[in-house]
Amino acid sequence: MFGESTLVFIALGGIFAYSFYAVLVAGQLSLGQAGFAALAAFTSVAVGPSPADVGELPALLIGLLIGVVVGAVSAVVLGLPTIRLRGVFLAIATLAFAEAVRILLVNAEWTGGAQGTSVTKVVTPAIAWLALLLVGYWFWRQGPSRYGRALAAIREDELAARAMGVDVGRHRLSAFVAAGAIAGAYGVLWAYYMRLVAPEDFDFVAAIDGLVTAVVGGSTLFIGPLLGSGFLTMVPEIQREIGVDAGWVRPFLSGLLLLLVILFLPGGLASLIPVRRTAPPATGGDLGSEHERLSTRTHPAAGEPVVEVSGLGKDYGGVHAVRDVDLTLRSGEVVGLIGPNGAGKTTLVNLISGLVPATSGTVRVLGVEPGRTPVHRVAAAGVSRTFQHSKLFPRLSALDNVLVGSHLVSRPTFLRRLLWLPSARRDEQQALQHAARCLARVGLGERASVPAAALSYGDQRRLEIARALAADPSLLILDEPAAGMNHVEATGLSELIGSLAAGGLTILLIEHNVGMVLRTCHRIVVLNFGEVIAAGGPQEVVKDPAVVAAYLGGSAGEGPDLPGPAAAARPEGPTAEGEQP
Amino acid sequence: MQQLVNGLSIGSIYALFAIGFTLVFGILDRLNLAHPAVFAAAAFVGIELVTVAGLSIWLALPAVFVVGALLGLVIERVAFRPLKGRPDAHFAGLISSIALGGMLIALLQWRYHADTRRFPAESFPDTRFQLLGAQVTLLQAAILVISVLLMVALTWLVARTRLGRAMRAVAENPTAARVLGINVDRVTATTFALSSALGAVAGALFAMNVNSAQLGMGAAIELKGLAVIIVGGMGSLPGALVGGLALGLAEVFAVQYVGSSWRDLVAFGLLFLVLLVRPQGLFGARRVREV
Repeated sequence: MFGESTLVFIALGGIFAYSFYAVLVAGQLSLGQAGFAALAAFTSVAVGPSPADVGELPALLIGLLIGVVVGAVSAVVLGLPTIRLRGVFLAIATLAFAEAVRILLVNAEWTGGAQGTSVTKVVTPAIAWLALLLVGYWFWRQGPSRYGRALAAIREDELAARAMGVDVGRHRLSAFVAAGAIAGAYGVLWAYYMRLVAPEDFDFVAAIDGLVTAVVGGSTLFIGPLLGSGFLTMVPEIQREIGVDAGWVRPFLSGLLLLLVILFLPGGLASLIPVRRTAPPATGGDLGSEHERLSTRTHPAAGEPVVEVSGLGKDYGGVHAVRDVDLTLRSGEVVGLIGPNGAGKTTLVNLISGLVPATSGTVRVLGVEPGRTPVHRVAAAGVSRTFQHSKLFPRLSALDNVLVGSHLVSRPTFLRRLLWLPSARRDEQQALQHAARCLARVGLGERASVPAAALSYGDQRRLEIARALAADPSLLILDEPAAGMNHVEATGLSELIGSLAAGGLTILLIEHNVGMVLRTCHRIVVLNFGEVIAAGGPQEVVKDPAVVAAYLGGSAGEGPDLPGPAAAARPEGPTAEGEQP
Repeated sequence: MQQLVNGLSIGSIYALFAIGFTLVFGILDRLNLAHPAVFAAAAFVGIELVTVAGLSIWLALPAVFVVGALLGLVIERVAFRPLKGRPDAHFAGLISSIALGGMLIALLQWRYHADTRRFPAESFPDTRFQLLGAQVTLLQAAILVISVLLMVALTWLVARTRLGRAMRAVAENPTAARVLGINVDRVTATTFALSSALGAVAGALFAMNVNSAQLGMGAAIELKGLAVIIVGGMGSLPGALVGGLALGLAEVFAVQYVGSSWRDLVAFGLLFLVLLVRPQGLFGARRVREV
């Protein structure tokens, strides 16, 4: 049952599954790996030295090197144009690439066409398993590193990851390149084991097999692909062993088992393994000393302008969500932004944090121009925000959510973790302590290991604030943070905002709880129909007749039937599905 | 002209197959990879109905439609409904439908073995027309007419009927649809049934067109179906029609002018081009990201 070929197939299947795992952890579904593997296998066989000339092992190592490079390079070539595609679009584009590669190889001279090329058999079970363990080690070390967390964040919520300063494009591309390199290694190992390599070895079915292996094993734990490959390789072996006839029964049972695993084990086979969640370190007395290794930001001096907005406008179709807004926020200020539903508050905040480009006017925030600068650079400049509808990373623990928030202030640890450098461990510890402090600051210290999705609504809002704080921002934007909080919690939040401002932070607060805004803010800006209708200290603003009219109804507005926020945010209207002409 | 006719008839089968794919994707945002297995199963069932039960081909097609619809219900119930509400429903649905499709193919292997099956030679009249210098067989004309009629009927159903309105509501927002009193589970099941029924008819027509049915025929058309729905625009019914016909024509002309070994590259070249230039497809609308 554990013959040589079974052992090698488990190892090779595992390596191929890791090439899918590499992108699945970042939430990308790519099926191009078969193409990378095919290119790598044929190139290394054609270009690499023959085992007869240089000896078996050197030939394999050189072949592997060529394969890894070819795989990685073709991943870059495919990745650059397709990396902006998402979900099934990416899957189908990469699949098309793999099929195109296969057809080209079948029709090419140097590959031997459909018959393929014969290769000396060099790979032994030991070599295959060594390669598998190396790849597994890579992902074991990647998981809890800053890079690994950033990939998980992209998988959970790309936009939020971006707002936390993660360069999504670069991370996605590097995950893609890792997939290409590993698939390349797989292709070469396959060629040097099978004696004969043909384009058909890397067809659509092979790609689907790799994906299935990775998903069945589980794409949230590094051991998953290994388990998946063991399972899927052993099922037919065991069937043969216990005397199940070949023919239709074997594929039927394999399909049935696959179905059962995917339906009843949501995290794949790896979810059967108990995982120790990273616990927050006990926040001891030496809070001062560890702080020095996290890079800290110097806020602009009090009174310096942080946000300068002039003549800013944003149209969605014919709707002026924001028009002609002038606004300046100075360092250390707490500014409230209020207005009826659909007044354009969230649009204004999205303009300031760079999520949407302006139609007219200019924004300058902390030396960058949001809308022209990528979102992660705006975040790097010191802008951190929460979202009106919570955009947490639902399957990550509260602590991991906050750790992603500290992406910008912590140091990359993955490469050092691969080498077991002690400095990486120190950096991780400091990031953990920093995150634990941010959690404690919003009163969630006890709930650090709970997945974000399992928190109550009010706790989720506070977790978002903790995550935004972890980036050590100079400008903190809170979009309706008190929604869903009771009176006592809102008062606590108000106090927290006050203490943050005392520490030099500039805060822009959108809130419907007008009482809280009046208590918390130095200055209030009132927006209605996308325009600033009043601005000033809390007492002036509440007495302003235009504000009273906007809130209580009356003639100040332009009519009661202007669109609400939902319509403003979704300009394409309800036909976005496209099944209507 | 002859190539035009050939391309249109094979293209209309691609379109009919792809429209089932795109219907489920457009309304339920799921890719059903058991669809190719239905395509293959329908071809075998159709041949059996004609050869064993002695049905005429005109009666076999509606029967195949019904069989496809039943398979669609099974697929929805077994591979998709249990995943409802799971955060990884997207990936899991791909895998569970692959698994179920594999089981279906295994059952076909049990019933029909790995042989190639054919419709009996006399089951279809060998009538030919001359049209502008091209030979059109009755079969080709029938394939084109049946496919287009089914697709027009589907488009009408989605656009004009109560069921279609419910489908569009579910596509837009399942939760809101439920609140409005729409039985989302039933709409979902009906969508799967319709989609599979169309895929089944496509399978039977394909088997008539090439006069053979094999276990691997679904896998061969699967990639083309995916290419068609991307080119036409994910979830767009007219897009799938135009995309399917365009692919059929492109293939036929590629064989004539470039060579048959490159035929399969056409679909992927077309697909890649569209993805790069117009990722939402020819008829798709770009979805807007919400904050």
